[in-house]
Amino acid sequence: MADLSFDRGAFGRGVRSALPLMVPPVPFGLALGLIITESEAVGTFVGWASSWVLFAGSAQLVAVELLDEGAAAAVIIATIVMINARHIVYSAVVNARIGAVPGWFRLLGSYWLTDQVFAIDEMQGEIGTRQRMWTMLGAGFTMWSIWNAVVLAGVFVGDLLPDDFPVGFIVAVLFGGLMVLATRNRPGVAAAIVGGLIAVGARDLPPGTGVLIAIIVGAAVGAALERRWERAE
Amino acid sequence: MSAWIVFGVGGLFTYLMRGSFLLLGDRVRLPAWTEAPLRYVAPAAFAAITVPATLGDEGLPALAPPTAEVIGVAAAGFVVWRTRNIPLCLLVGVVVLGLAGWIGL
Repeated sequence: MADLSFDRGAFGRGVRSALPLMVPPVPFGLALGLIITESEAVGTFVGWASSWVLFAGSAQLVAVELLDEGAAAAVIIATIVMINARHIVYSAVVNARIGAVPGWFRLLGSYWLTDQVFAIDEMQGEIGTRQRMWTMLGAGFTMWSIWNAVVLAGVFVGDLLPDDFPVGFIVAVLFGGLMVLATRNRPGVAAAIVGGLIAVGARDLPPGTGVLIAIIVGAAVGAALERRWERAE
Repeated sequence: MSAWIVFGVGGLFTYLMRGSFLLLGDRVRLPAWTEAPLRYVAPAAFAAITVPATLGDEGLPALAPPTAEVIGVAAAGFVVWRTRNIPLCLLVGVVVLGLAGWIGL
């Protein structure tokens, strides 16, 4: 295996890339902490522990809400699986370009592979395995530390957040920005439009389902148009 | 108790999905035809998260006339397209949402 020793520059770039992407999760995590303290069915410690057991904000939020409604465990677990199913696709993308990396990285990188870490990796362009690996680790470590701290803070001071704070809107702005950064050509624009429309049309399906269908169809449309437009040129 | 089971099992499945390919490494080789679609996963995925979160329960009618949220996300998207600057994008989104709400959209 090539030299994969600690790359301070790449790790630092991962940390710096993750910091702005962690701005929206701060109010989100504070609100989640508050919802955990107010929950009847979810104890404070186990609710906070979901931040490192699940490490997936939307799934944590939906799981706490469903537990409070008294939904069956199997239903809630199935919902978590659907909400997070898009990560299978992220895993395929990252695996295809990461190169030969040690087992410990595969174990840890899988744990930290969130939307934001995937987005940061996506933005790196053509870089070597060592840099890619340490950038992902820097980003994942930063996200994981901040997320666990913020949800814990929300348990104690979540009620300081104003009731009308637009948590969902800030998340939408962040992913809108990441969408723009990830869209590099006309097939990419088509993939985004198709993905967005399908997700809206499918929003009454069980949580996560629409997003998964949107990714698969949007990516397929992007690839089909890429081939068609390249041939036309 | 049931909260531990839900988070534990849900967390295990989440981990296995995140690791589905990454844990297996070279032992899984995707067929060549998947190469092009995988290039378009990111725009499709982030749009699929953004658009429903922006339009809210209203769906497509939120576009015409545009709600404050739609204007805010559109303005932020324009800024990030020109500047590639995510912190600025977040700031513009929040300021424009505030302004649009203030003039009553």
